[in-house]
Amino acid sequence: MNEIDASVPLRAKRGEEQAFIEIVEFYYPRCLRFARNMLSNDQDAEEAVQDAFVRVHDSFPRFREDARFDPWLFRILANRCRTLLSRGKRHRSLIEYGDVPITAAAPEEEYGADWAEEVQVVLDSLPAEQREAFLLRHVEDLSYEDIAALTGVRLSALRMRVKRACDTLRARLSEVEQHDR
Amino acid sequence: MKFLNARSAAVATAAMLVSIYGATAAAQQDPQVTAIRDEATRTVVMEQLSIARDRGIPREPLLSRALEGVAKNASSSTIRSAMAALQKRLTRAHDLLGASSTVDELSAGADALSVGVPDKTLKAMREAAPRRSIAVELGVLTELVARHVSPKKASQMILDLMARGATGAQLTALNAAVQSDVAAGLTPEAALERHGRGILSLLPLPTPAFNGNPRPR
Amino acid sequence: MIDDLTEQDELIERVARALKPLPPLNARATAGILAAVRTRSAQTPSAWSRAVEWLRQPNFSVATAGMLAAAALAIGFVTRGAITPAGPAALATEGNVSAPVMPAANTPSAVREIPVPITFDAAGASNVSIVGDFNDWNSAAAPLKRFGANGPWTTTVKVTPGRHLYAFMVDGKLVVDPRAPSTRDLDYGGEASVMMVPTP
Repeated sequence: MNEIDASVPLRAKRGEEQAFIEIVEFYYPRCLRFARNMLSNDQDAEEAVQDAFVRVHDSFPRFREDARFDPWLFRILANRCRTLLSRGKRHRSLIEYGDVPITAAAPEEEYGADWAEEVQVVLDSLPAEQREAFLLRHVEDLSYEDIAALTGVRLSALRMRVKRACDTLRARLSEVEQHDR
Repeated sequence: MKFLNARSAAVATAAMLVSIYGATAAAQQDPQVTAIRDEATRTVVMEQLSIARDRGIPREPLLSRALEGVAKNASSSTIRSAMAALQKRLTRAHDLLGASSTVDELSAGADALSVGVPDKTLKAMREAAPRRSIAVELGVLTELVARHVSPKKASQMILDLMARGATGAQLTALNAAVQSDVAAGLTPEAALERHGRGILSLLPLPTPAFNGNPRPR
Repeated sequence: MIDDLTEQDELIERVARALKPLPPLNARATAGILAAVRTRSAQTPSAWSRAVEWLRQPNFSVATAGMLAAAALAIGFVTRGAITPAGPAALATEGNVSAPVMPAANTPSAVREIPVPITFDAAGASNVSIVGDFNDWNSAAAPLKRFGANGPWTTTVKVTPGRHLYAFMVDGKLVVDPRAPSTRDLDYGGEASVMMVPTP
């Protein structure tokens, strides 16, 4: 996993704007990737990422100099995503009335569709905590210990969430693979 | 009697001159006015602000309109016309929205009138929200009409949404959604209908008024 | 059985590979983040007061209150629902006056201004400022700063809730915001951009 040099967050903590800019430029793509995969809505994802970086900036006084920056950043980002998820349905109803939702098509209708779309559909169907755990482990490549620390979930419960997510992904996507053969 | 009349007239004239002079002097001291380079424009602005002051019309929107003209290199006569027209609309907005309206509401009301929102709509909006600012609601209505939703349909939708308790944020979002749909090719009225009905469907129905008669047994 | 497990591990790896592509760095979005951070720094100078505000409002959104994000990103700015008391404006400052025909409207100090981060692309420009009805079209009132050597220009303006007209002064010339709706001015001709600021 690619982490920013440890000196950069420390410079940002001391108030160097340039260091904060470096952090934003380094992590923005990863943060947006995670938020998009969690929220399946570009607008919400961008909002979550912007909120997260502002909170990171505000919270630098509380960032311990001996801590690693990645898990700290992802803890803040994951919290923002959870908040947006909790109001996600109402928000989409207000703005997209009459629109076809992004993941409207049932998986049965997706046979032969692009693999990435298939994956997104199944990912979106996972319970949020399983999706989050799976993404942090298998896409963002954080260790179980880091994920446990940033989510506050016990290791055993965390492993179970990842396992269940993988089981569902295997079950649904194996069907697609077999159908495509 | 003649003396008294003459004296009264002189006093009244003096008072008027002092009032005009005082207003002009004050305007002259205003750095934004004194910063206007063109003398003809500066004179016009001071004159219009004096007239507005005497009529109790809020100064900021008029000064802002004048300075907009300066920024756009408008002639002094164009600026005079723009300020005079705005004064009229502000006065109308005040009559329709009420004496306790804020400067922002009066400006927003004047803008709404400028695009053709009917007088009765402003009155109805004020009645719908007598104790809070409706500047945002007026702004959204202005935008919808400016984007070619008919004043009647836009007015009805905004009033319906206000009656159901739609927030300023919801109305602003409605405006953004309508504009997005129009950019994508939908007609403005179809876009308003679609998104407006969507928001209405999520808002609580108004409680029916109790008419005092007991239910039949 | 072992082959099935291997295939299934490979499947999870395929899933991860499908989800791993990174979106490109978005200069506009990152400039928006910086503008939002600068806005908050201007509002709450002490770290302690920032921490207190954060604790009191755990669900605040720096972006558009969830409602304006798409349009805001499309029109070059996002709004922030923070409250800053407006300074007194020059309403009826002409000293003692007799009762006006139209009673003066409520004092502007009762109207809350919202800090609005602004971003604008003007690659070859030397000076950019935002002018509008919120700053009397004064090009010296709200200059923008360039983000990086060639990035977008940013600043923050304080605006009351409602509809506002504005434009950018780019090297002495008025330019509408290409990402915002615009409206034609029947008195002065030309166009101005429109921003809608919601109530916080």
